[in-house]
Amino acid sequence: MALNLKRKRGAQVAPKAKRLHADEDAISHHSSAEESMGSGSDQDAEEEAWDGIEGAAAHTHETSAEAGPSGSHIMKPPTGEELRKIKDASELFRSTSFKSQIDAMLPNVRPKYDKSQSLDAFLMSLHKLLMELPAVAPQHPLHASRTLSKKGIDVPYVRPFPTEETNWKVSFEKPSEIMLAGSWITKTAVKAKDSAPFTVDVAIEMPSSLFQEKDYLNGRVFQKRAYYLGVVAAAIAKAKSTLRCELFYESVSGDPRRTCLVLRPIPDDTHKSSSKAHTHVRIIPFIGESPVPLQRLSPARSNIRAAVLDDESKEEPTPLYNTAYMLMTTPKAHLLHIHALAKNVPSFADALTLLRVWANQRGYGLGSRMCVRGFEGKGMWWASILDLIVNGEEPPPAGLGRKGTKRKPLGKGLSSYQLFKAALDFLARHNFGDEAVFVKSRDGHRFPPSSYSSHEAVFVDATSSVNLLADVPLASLDTLRYDAQATLELLDHALLSEDAFAPLFLREHRDLFARFDVVARVDLSSVEMRAVSAQHVADHGSAYNAAVAQLVSTLHRGLGDRAKAIAVLHASSDVRPTSQALPTQSSIVHIGIILDSDHAFRLVDHGPPAEEQESERTRQFREFWGDKAELRRFKDGSIAESVVWDVKNADERARIPAMIMRHLLARHFGLGADAVQTWQTEFDTLLKLPDPISSLYQASSASVGFKSALSAFDALVKHFRALDDQFPLAVLNVSPVSPALRYTDVFVPATLAIPSRSALPKSVSYLPAMEIIIEFEKSARWPDDLRAIQKMKLALFERLASILMSAVKGLQATVVLGERTERTEIEDEAALDIITADGWAFRARIWHDREATLLDRIINDQPHVPKALRQAKTGEDARERQLALHARELYTRRFIHAPRHHRAIAALYHRLPAFANTVRLTKRWFAAHWLLRGHVSEEAVELLCAHVFLRTGPPLTADVATNARTFAPGSKERGFAQVIEFLKDWEWAEGLDIMLDNADQTAGDSPTAAPTITSKDVAWSLRTSFDPRGHMWTSSGPNAVVARRVTTIAKATWECLNGLENGTSSVKAIFHHPTDHYDFVIELNPALSTRYHQKLDADTSVWAPKGKYANAIARDAAASIMPSFDPFGMFYGDLAHVYADTVLLFHDSLGGDRIGAVWQPNLRSARPFRALGGFSSIPVQKDAAKGKEKDKGLVVLNESALFAEIQRLGSTLVARIAPRDTQ
Amino acid sequence: MGSASSPKKASRARAASTSAGSSSALPASVSGFTVLPVIYASSATHILYARAHSAPKHSDAKGKQKERAAALPEGRTLFLVNVPPDATERELTVLFKPCGTVERVVFSTGGGGAPQEEEMLEDESESEDDDAHESAAGSEDKDDEDVESRPKKKRKVAEPQAPRVVPLPSPPIRTLRRTGHTAYVVFLDSSSLARALKPPQKPYTWPVDKEALLGLEHYASLYSALRPPLDVVRAHADSWMEAFEYEQAKKKHESKYNKGEAIVDEDGFTLVTRGGAYGKTLGGGVGVASKRFHEDQSGAGSKRRRKDKKETKEKDAFYAFQIHEKKRKHIIDLKTRFQEDTAKIEKLKERRKFNPY
Repeated sequence: MALNLKRKRGAQVAPKAKRLHADEDAISHHSSAEESMGSGSDQDAEEEAWDGIEGAAAHTHETSAEAGPSGSHIMKPPTGEELRKIKDASELFRSTSFKSQIDAMLPNVRPKYDKSQSLDAFLMSLHKLLMELPAVAPQHPLHASRTLSKKGIDVPYVRPFPTEETNWKVSFEKPSEIMLAGSWITKTAVKAKDSAPFTVDVAIEMPSSLFQEKDYLNGRVFQKRAYYLGVVAAAIAKAKSTLRCELFYESVSGDPRRTCLVLRPIPDDTHKSSSKAHTHVRIIPFIGESPVPLQRLSPARSNIRAAVLDDESKEEPTPLYNTAYMLMTTPKAHLLHIHALAKNVPSFADALTLLRVWANQRGYGLGSRMCVRGFEGKGMWWASILDLIVNGEEPPPAGLGRKGTKRKPLGKGLSSYQLFKAALDFLARHNFGDEAVFVKSRDGHRFPPSSYSSHEAVFVDATSSVNLLADVPLASLDTLRYDAQATLELLDHALLSEDAFAPLFLREHRDLFARFDVVARVDLSSVEMRAVSAQHVADHGSAYNAAVAQLVSTLHRGLGDRAKAIAVLHASSDVRPTSQALPTQSSIVHIGIILDSDHAFRLVDHGPPAEEQESERTRQFREFWGDKAELRRFKDGSIAESVVWDVKNADERARIPAMIMRHLLARHFGLGADAVQTWQTEFDTLLKLPDPISSLYQASSASVGFKSALSAFDALVKHFRALDDQFPLAVLNVSPVSPALRYTDVFVPATLAIPSRSALPKSVSYLPAMEIIIEFEKSARWPDDLRAIQKMKLALFERLASILMSAVKGLQATVVLGERTERTEIEDEAALDIITADGWAFRARIWHDREATLLDRIINDQPHVPKALRQAKTGEDARERQLALHARELYTRRFIHAPRHHRAIAALYHRLPAFANTVRLTKRWFAAHWLLRGHVSEEAVELLCAHVFLRTGPPLTADVATNARTFAPGSKERGFAQVIEFLKDWEWAEGLDIMLDNADQTAGDSPTAAPTITSKDVAWSLRTSFDPRGHMWTSSGPNAVVARRVTTIAKATWECLNGLENGTSSVKAIFHHPTDHYDFVIELNPALSTRYHQKLDADTSVWAPKGKYANAIARDAAASIMPSFDPFGMFYGDLAHVYADTVLLFHDSLGGDRIGAVWQPNLRSARPFRALGGFSSIPVQKDAAKGKEKDKGLVVLNESALFAEIQRLGSTLVARIAPRDTQ
Repeated sequence: MGSASSPKKASRARAASTSAGSSSALPASVSGFTVLPVIYASSATHILYARAHSAPKHSDAKGKQKERAAALPEGRTLFLVNVPPDATERELTVLFKPCGTVERVVFSTGGGGAPQEEEMLEDESESEDDDAHESAAGSEDKDDEDVESRPKKKRKVAEPQAPRVVPLPSPPIRTLRRTGHTAYVVFLDSSSLARALKPPQKPYTWPVDKEALLGLEHYASLYSALRPPLDVVRAHADSWMEAFEYEQAKKKHESKYNKGEAIVDEDGFTLVTRGGAYGKTLGGGVGVASKRFHEDQSGAGSKRRRKDKKETKEKDAFYAFQIHEKKRKHIIDLKTRFQEDTAKIEKLKERRKFNPY
C-alpha cells in the first residue's frame, strides 16, 4: 500500500517538472532519487517530507539552471543524494553533527584490515604447521605432561588433577578443521581499553576420535583439551624459526577450563606494518560434533560427580561447568550466525562497535584496570543483544504459563545509532534477576527454559545452546543497568548538554571514585570462605572465582535495597607463560557500591518475626548476620529478628553501607579490617575540628550542628518579631544568607555559651558571624538620599541593639560601622553584630529597596537622553558614578542575589542528601589549595557542586518520586570526585549553565540588567536562571590565571584520586598544597591566628596553654568576644589590596598560616620609570644598564624593600618571609 | 626600625648584596625625578622619587585651579612618588625634618582603590590634576588625616545656626594605601624644597611611628574602632539626620522653584520636565508622565496596531512560487547547516578528538 502511494505521488511530480521545464537532467536525477526512496524506509510520515522536498528539489534545480552561470556563486540547493544523507543524519542519528562524530570515531576503534598482510602470512604458516602435526598415541596424562614439560610447556590440566590412578588416556591428532572465528573475521572487532591488542581467534577442531562418551564427566574433556593445547603449544614453540612469535596461555575470566593459547607475532624488520596492526592470535580448540548427548549437558544436570570430591551429598547442578563445555562446541555456530547477521542488518557492525565502545569506556570489557567483573570474552553477548533487538525473543514453549514475548523485533532497517539506543534501552529496562531472555533461534529451545533455574541471569544465544551470562554476577548486571539508565537520561536531556557525544563515547567512566558512592579496596589473599561446598568451587573452576562470586552475592544479599548496584572490579586476566599451567589473579579487587539514598542509611534491617523462631528462614538470617542478628521488639509491638547499626552522628550514619560491607566480609570471608580499605573516615576528618578542640567544646556543653544554628536563627527571628510595639518599623522578613545556615559551611557550626568561651585559647577562638538580612515594612519616612539612608540604618541598628539587649537576657549587640576605616557613604556598610546567650553570632544588615533606585539614578542620570548624545562625565561626577556602580553591585549581590542563592542551595540540601557534604568537602579542597574566598567565592563553589548534582537528573521538582531517578552522587566522596572530574575538563571560557530551582523567580523581580563593573578578566561565568550573565559570584575572581590554576590543581587531584585505587597516594595528599611554585611565601605566626584549629593537620601545641598560670590569658576573653575577628584574613586582604598590581596572593582562609605570592610576570624585567607605575621600584644600576637606555630611566621591582615593607605591615603577625630559593 | 628589623636571615645575604651595591651605584635622578633612597632595614632600601610640584599648564577649570594652587603652593611643594603604603603624615614629616619644616602632607589616593586608579592618566601632569581634586578636599582637614570617616556634609553646613554633627570616634589608625602611590609634601619655605631635591649625602632612614599600630594590634584596634559604643552611634546618627533635615529645608527654602508652580524663563517658555514622584519634579515645572509609563502606554497601543497590520498583510504561502521558494530556502538551510556541522567535525578531527582511548 505504501509503495503504491509513493508511486502515484512520484508520477504526479514528474509531469509537473516536465511542464515547468523539460530539463532531462532534472528528470533523470529525479527518477534516481525516487528509486533510492523506494528501497528506503517505510514510514509514511517520512515520505510526506520526502515528496515535498523532492518536488522542490526538481523545481529549484531548474530555476538555478535558468538563472545561468551568473547565479553560480549563489549556494546551490543540494542534490537528492545529498539531501538524503542530510535527512538520514538528522532523523536517524539524533543530529547531523552526532552522525559525523560517529563517522569520525568508528575508524579509530577498528583494526586496519588493509595493513594485515603480514598477519595473513603468519596465519598461513600457522595453518600449515598445525595441519602437519603428527599424531600422538594415547598415553597416561601424567606421563604425557612429563614429556611436554621437558620442552618447557606445562599442560594446563584443570582441577581435579589427573593422578597416577587415572584410568583414561590423552592423545593428539591433527585438527580436523582450522578456521578463523570471532570478531576479527566478521569485521566486528573493536579496540579494547588500555591499548590491548586486537585478537584474531583461530579455532581448531579437535577430532572427535579423541573423545569418549563419558568424557563429559568430572572435567575429563577439559583435561583432554588441555593436553591438546599443550601439544600445539609445544609444536609452535619448536617451530620458532618459521613462526616468529611469543607464546602464552590465557584463561578467559581466569577460568582454567577456558584456557587458550596466545601467539604474539614478533614483528620482523621487513614487515613493520605487523607491529602497527597490533594484533595477537589466539588458538581456541573446540569440538565440532559433541560426542555427548545434549540432555546430559542441560544446565540443570550435575556433571561433577560427588565420588571424586570428598563431599558425597546430593548432586547439585553444575551450570558453569556445563556452560564451559557448551562453549567448546559453539565457535563455528556463532561465527556463522554473526556473519549472517552482519550481512542481513546493514548497520549491525556499526551499532555493535558503538555499543562496545560505550561498554569499554565503562569498564565492561578488557582492560588493565578497573573492569567490572564478568564481562571478559563477552563479545558474543554484545552481539546477541543486537540480535535480540533485531530478531526478537524466542517464545517460551507452550503451556509454561508465560504469555507471548513482550519484546517485538525492531526490524533490520534501523540506523546504527538507533540500534545502539535500542540496546541501551534494553539494558536499562531489563531486570536480569527476574526474567530470562532467549534470543530467537531457528530451531526453538534446545534446553527447556526451566532448566536454567540455577543460573542467576539468563541470556541464551541464538543457537540456543549457551547461557551467555552464566558467569556474570547479577550485581554486575545491575551496574550495567545503572549505567545504561544514566546514559539514556543524558540522551533524553541532551538539550542542556549539546554535545552528548563526548560523554557517551569519548570520555572514560572507569574511575572508581567518580562512579561509585562507596569504594573499598579488598585484599583477597587471606580470604577464607565460611561455608562453601566443594561442588561450588569445582563448578567455578577455581577457588578464586568461587570466592569472588560468593563475595558478590553475599554483598548483594546483605545490602539489599540500600544499593542500586554493586560491582567487583579488577584488571582483566592477563596472559601467562606456557610454563605456568594455572591462571593467577591479583589478590586486590575493588568493590564499588552505588547507593540508593532513600534506603542506604536505614538503621535497622528486619528479619523474620519471632513466631518463626525455629524456621529455616530464621536460621539463615542468623547464619548470615552472625552476632549482629538479635531479637528485638519494635514500636508497633512486633518482635522480630533484626540487625541494628548503631551510629553516633551523621558522619557515622553515612558510613552504614561500608559498615555492612565490612561486617559481611569479616564474617563470611575472614577478611579483617586490615584487608578492607575504605576512605570515608579519612574524608570525614577533613571536615572536623581536631579532637582536642572538639572535646573542649564537648566538655563545656557546646551547642553543635547545623540544626542548632538554624534554631538559634529562628529564635532570633522570633525576638525581632516580638519588637513590634517598641520599634517604629515592623520586621517584614529576615533572610539567612550564611553557609552555616544552609548546611554548606565547611565546619559544622559549634559554639560555646558566652561565659564558657573564656576556656578557649586565643588561637582557636574564632567565632563566625552568620549573615542575615532584615527587611522592614515599607515606610514613607525613609529619607530620599543615599547618605541619609546609611545614617538611618545606623540609627535603626542602634535602636534595635538597645531594645534587643533589654528584651533578651544575655544577648549582646554592637553596631558595626563597616569593614575598613574609610567610608564611601553611599554604599551599604553598617551592620549589627548580635551574640545570643548561647554564643551564636549573627551579623544583620538592613535591606532598603529605595537604594537601588537612587543608585541607578546616579549611574544613569540622563535616562531620556540617547546614549550617543550624553555628555561625558568629568571629575567628581565620574568618580561618584564609579562609587555608585560599586555600591549598586554590592547591593545587588548582597540583597537580591544572596538570599535567592541561599534559598536555592538550602532546597538542594533537602532533595539531595549528599549535596551539602560534597559542597563542604569541595570548599575544603579549594581552601586547602589557597583559593577559597581570596579567589573563589563560597557561592561559586556551591554553584559548581550544584551543577554536578543537577546535570544528569531531570530538573528538580517538588515531589520526591522523580528524584528517585536521579543519577546524582549518593555520597560526598563521589560528589567530590565528580566535581574534580568536572573541573579538570571544564573549558571555563565557555561558561556554565546551572539548572538551579527557578521556582523562586516568579516571586522576585526579574533579573535587572543594571550596569556593573566587572573587570575584564573574570574567567568563570556561572549562569543561573536569575543571573543570566553569570558573574554575580565570580566578579572578584578567579581571573584567567587562577582559573588555569584551578584546572591544573584539579588534574593533579584527579591523578591523586586514581592513585588511591592502587594505594600509591592518600587522601591527605589530595589536600596537601605544594608551595614550591610560589615566588615567596609569607609565614605567619600561628599563635596569633584566631582560627588555627581549622587548619589541616594543625599543630596542637600552638594552642596548648603556655606560661606559668593556666588562667592568666583567660582574663579578658569573656569581656570581649569578637565575632568574625580573623587577623590573618584581614592581613591577607590588606596585602592583596596594597599589592594588587604587584603580586598575586594565595592563602588558605581556613586556618592557614602561610600566604603564597606570585609576582606579576610583567614586572620582573626592567621597564621605564612612570610616576604612577603602581609598584615599588628601584632604578636599574647605572653600570648595569646599557648606555643607550640610560636616559630612559629604567626601574625594576624593589623586592627586598617589598619584603621589608610586608614584614613591617605584618609586624608580629609575620614570622618569616621565604623567597623561593630559600624554601 | 622597631619590629620591622626582625631578622630575615634567609633573604638577607641576597638582599644585602643588591642594596649595598645600589646605594652606591644608584643614579641621582630618573626621568627628572630625584632618587631618594630610604633605608627600611639593614638589608632593604626603599626608593622615593621626588620632584618639585608644578601646576598643570593647561587650564580646564579655572576656579579649581586657583583653589588648587592655594592648596599646593608652587615653589614649596614636593611631589613624591612611590610612598610606602603604610606611610602616615607624621612619618613623612619626620623623614623630611632634616630638610626643613613640613607644613602638611597630602596623599593622592586613599585606600579606595580601583575607581580612582582608572582615572589616573599616564601623563604625570594630568594626574596631578586629579590629585588636586583630592587635595582640595584634603587640605581642609589637614589637622586630622583620618577625618575621612567623618561625613563630608558637615563641612558644607557652614551656617552658624546649623546643628552640629557629633562625629564618630576616629582613633589613630593607619590607612593602608596601594603600593607605589604618590603624595605632596608642602614645606614652610622654598629653601627646604631645594634641600629635599638635592640627592642626599647618606640615605634617609624610615621612621616608624610607634603610635600608629601595625600588625595584630592594628587589626585589633581597627576592629574595636569599627564598633563604637551605642550611645555614640546614636548621637552621631541623630545629629546627622538633624543636620540633613536642616539642610534639606534650607535648600527647599533657597530653591527658586516651588512644587506645583510652573517654571517660566525670561523668554516666556514654560519648562516641561519629566520624572519625580507622580510625574512631578520636586523643584516644580510642568510635569509630564514618567517615561516608562509613557512607553508602556504607547507600547501597548502600538502592539495592537501592529497586530491589525499583520492581518491585512499578504499571505506568504498562497502562490505556488512562494511555497517553492520557501522549500528551497529550507533545504538550502539544511545543507548549509550540514556543511557547517561537517566543517566543525573536521576541525575537531584535526585535534584528534575522536580517539576514545
